[in-house]
Amino acid sequence: MASPPRIEVEKLSVEQLKALKEQTDLEVNLLQDSLTKIRSAATRLENASAALHDLSLRPKGKKMLVPLTASLYVPGTLDDSEKVLVDVGTGYFIEKTMTEGKEYCERKINLLKSNFDELVEMATKKKNIADEMGRLLQAKLRQSSPSPSS
Amino acid sequence: MAAAAASSSTPAAVREMQRDLESQANALSKIQKDISKNHQVRKQYTIQVGENELVLKELELVNDEANVYKLIGPVLVKQDLAEAKANVKKRIEYISAELKRMDRALKDLEEKQNSKKESIFKLQQKMQAVQAKA
Repeated sequence: MASPPRIEVEKLSVEQLKALKEQTDLEVNLLQDSLTKIRSAATRLENASAALHDLSLRPKGKKMLVPLTASLYVPGTLDDSEKVLVDVGTGYFIEKTMTEGKEYCERKINLLKSNFDELVEMATKKKNIADEMGRLLQAKLRQSSPSPSS
Repeated sequence: MAAAAASSSTPAAVREMQRDLESQANALSKIQKDISKNHQVRKQYTIQVGENELVLKELELVNDEANVYKLIGPVLVKQDLAEAKANVKKRIEYISAELKRMDRALKDLEEKQNSKKESIFKLQQKMQAVQAKA
């Protein structure tokens, strides 16, 4: 399979360089957004895992306040801390044991971390390309603008 | 006399070409909008396929006695594991088929875009030639 033709950036005009830099910057921003989303998803899963651990330490019949809304809590007692309902996506919930629930969280966190590492690598490469283009663009602009005669 | 007639017909021809060029440019702009829309829809479908595949993977991991629930409105309804798997598989098949259809549509749109660009380029060249003669 033939590799895609390499663009010789040095030979591009100022306009072409500007367009290419804008495109690369846009890609970098998209990657940064994705990284932020992955980070927040991982944080949510870590919180869920911590909550599961915390719940597993509580005995049956433990009194607690249950949130109905963000600002309304009602008193309740813990019935069964061994079984939990896990939201696996697209509206499906699976009943799992506490251990299975923790394993699920760990699995998801690991998946997100591997995706995160891949994206970081990609974003770094793109950022370097964008920076290089910026430097080249500055140099070309300096060349094209006539130096003020003293 | 003939030269005068030719020169008077030239601006009319240029105007006609200008109109043609405008309509072609509008058509190209519409095609480009359709391509952009196609990309957005494809992105959504790709996300949905990914999500459904993750759900299927999770359903494959659980044992047959596990309780599976489906969120319908605000209510969790108990569902048979086999039925849940079948539903998710069906959904993946449907979205994948839609993605293939979108790919075909995109290919078609890109071909249209290229031919439009080509015809616009030819028209511009023709216009320049006519203007140069005048």
